[in-house]
Amino acid sequence: MRSHDAADCCADAVTGLAEAVLSEIADLLDQFAASGAQSSIDLSGLPMTDADREKLAQRLGRGEVQATLDVAGQTDVWETQYAGVWWVRHFGGNGQVISEEIAITHVPAILLTHREDARAAAERLRKACEVLEATTAADQSSAERDSIHA
Amino acid sequence: MREDKTLAQALESRGVSRRAFLKYASYVATLMALPPSASRVIAEELAKARRQSVIWLSFQECTGCTESITRSMSPTLEDLIFDFISLDYHHTLQAVSGAAAEHARTEAMKANKGKYIVVVDGSVPLKDGGVYSTIAGITNLDMLKETAKDAFAVVSVGTCAAFGGIPHANPNPTGAVAISEIITDKPVVNIPGCPPIPEAMTGTLAYLLSFGKLPELDAKGRPLAFFGETIHDRCYRRPFYERGMFANSFDDEGARKGWCLYKVGCKGPIAYNACATLKWNGGASFPIQSGHGCLGCSEPGFWDKGGFYEPLAAATAKLDIGVGAAAVAGVAAGAAAAELMRRKKSAAVDAANSKKKDG
Amino acid sequence: MDLLDFARGPALQIGLYVFAFGVAFRLASLLLLPRLKDLSAARKGAPGAVVASGREIIRRMWPQSVYAEATRFTTINGYIFHLGLAIIVFLGTPHILFLKGLIGVSWPGLPTNIINGVAVITFLSLIAALVHRLQSPVLKAISTANDYITWLVTMLPVATGLLAISHLGWRYETLLAVHILSIAVFLIWFPFGKLMHAFLIFLSRGTTGAHLAHRGAQL
Repeated sequence: MRSHDAADCCADAVTGLAEAVLSEIADLLDQFAASGAQSSIDLSGLPMTDADREKLAQRLGRGEVQATLDVAGQTDVWETQYAGVWWVRHFGGNGQVISEEIAITHVPAILLTHREDARAAAERLRKACEVLEATTAADQSSAERDSIHA
Repeated sequence: MREDKTLAQALESRGVSRRAFLKYASYVATLMALPPSASRVIAEELAKARRQSVIWLSFQECTGCTESITRSMSPTLEDLIFDFISLDYHHTLQAVSGAAAEHARTEAMKANKGKYIVVVDGSVPLKDGGVYSTIAGITNLDMLKETAKDAFAVVSVGTCAAFGGIPHANPNPTGAVAISEIITDKPVVNIPGCPPIPEAMTGTLAYLLSFGKLPELDAKGRPLAFFGETIHDRCYRRPFYERGMFANSFDDEGARKGWCLYKVGCKGPIAYNACATLKWNGGASFPIQSGHGCLGCSEPGFWDKGGFYEPLAAATAKLDIGVGAAAVAGVAAGAAAAELMRRKKSAAVDAANSKKKDG
Repeated sequence: MDLLDFARGPALQIGLYVFAFGVAFRLASLLLLPRLKDLSAARKGAPGAVVASGREIIRRMWPQSVYAEATRFTTINGYIFHLGLAIIVFLGTPHILFLKGLIGVSWPGLPTNIINGVAVITFLSLIAALVHRLQSPVLKAISTANDYITWLVTMLPVATGLLAISHLGWRYETLLAVHILSIAVFLIWFPFGKLMHAFLIFLSRGTTGAHLAHRGAQL
């Protein structure tokens, strides 16, 4: 071992896990295509080195869809060049990756709007409309007043 | 205080969406080594849950555990836990509030009877009626018993609460004991460490909140998700151990090249904790990565294992004066046995000679 | 105090006391025994006692050719596990650290993988020794409890050490504690059983050599 930094020596190593995960993804994608069964693989739980992860990312590539979410820190989601295979990468504070998964699905759940969020949003929008109406009404009445004074 | 709003409703007004729950859930699932499919369940359960009343008791401790859990100043995903729990009483944070704080504690206990979680950092002294640590004139022992009586579960945070820790170290002048030695009729989760990894504390609380039950524990009451493997097993310096490449002192070639610290006292092989994987300060580093051996701070009695810089393989037994004395005693006993034989033999010779004479 | 603390401390300490007392007792009681002086004159050309005992010790390192075939297995297998034990005990890094803690000096060790390999060979060799003892009618007939206990207390540290490094069965700290406890048992049994041969074998071979040479045996 020539490296002066032991951390580098191990982070650089390619263990072959990328290939193993790749064939697992292929199996899961077969199932999804055949029956619509959705699944996911927690990459953070696997003893992958940075080099392994890089290799897997290269093999999967980037497809048509990319999204950046601002949800309690950043989250990056992209579809790989294989349709139905999505990469979801969650960042925590300090820009550190806290969780990473491969989702085999139509679209990762985190991209979908939850009905409850929609309900709350509808409420807010309704309120915003009321406020808008009220201010418009107020503007009109003050304009009328101004015209009387003039 | 108990709130009627669900967590999702409470956070909605602050613009926190269900996506945040989903993201937090996948974070917890990763932390607790649960299958990814569990994160959807966690997200649903968390959104439906009410804020969890938590009473935090601080006994014989140094506040390092509280420092650890509140370390981050910027609100991040990891800190969402503080929106999920209602910290109704925290002795150290509320120190200046006096009677009002104690009132908040009893109110929270009444309102959430059977549902609140008691978090304890610090050990409890038993000697001399427990006089060595009191709060508002109440001994730690009395306060713990009274507070834990109607709790759903007790979480012992830090090695002092979990195993007695530093107050318990030889000669333990205050008779300090672990929380689990006092609370025997309730589930007690131990999250040891000096201090514990913040994620181990928040992850366990989130699990309790989502599933309403304790995570899987080891024989020492620690969540297996964080304390299931030794530091040594997950250490990036492990290959050097296998190859026999060791630092022999803290400033030799081996130390500079980042070789294994086993010879300079690393307790990694017997220390169960997640430092090697989760690391500290937002994943910046952990002791071994910074060049110091593991102290084994998440293990009982870590203070009394024969010295932090003594290798694990070295015995705490010594070639002391007693061993020399045993050898001297052995020689004396051996000489006595030989002398006995000599006498027996000369007696036999004498008897034979006199027989010959008589004959 | 957990099991590991007990093993590293009190158990080993008691083991060391018993070992020191026992070995000193056995050696003193033997060496201080009254011995008849050999009044006969040495044969002409007989070497001195020191040279003769040295020669005999070396000569007995390998069997005489007439016995070579009959004792081949015992000789080779015996060397394997004796050398194996020596390599493990004196060149395994944790063991060097253990000895350093006791006597204060240390030396370089071998990589863990090599020590593990040697330990596996030693383990198999010890098993073979027991099988041979049980299969040979003569050996079996002359074996006593002492032989089997001695085999067991030698085997236990090897077996528990192998379990500890491979994490089989219990958790590592428990396996390590059991491994150290097996050493304590080894130390306690040592002076009173056949393990004492470590101290006595060269003494007795040397004495025999000197005695025989004095009488004119051409060794």
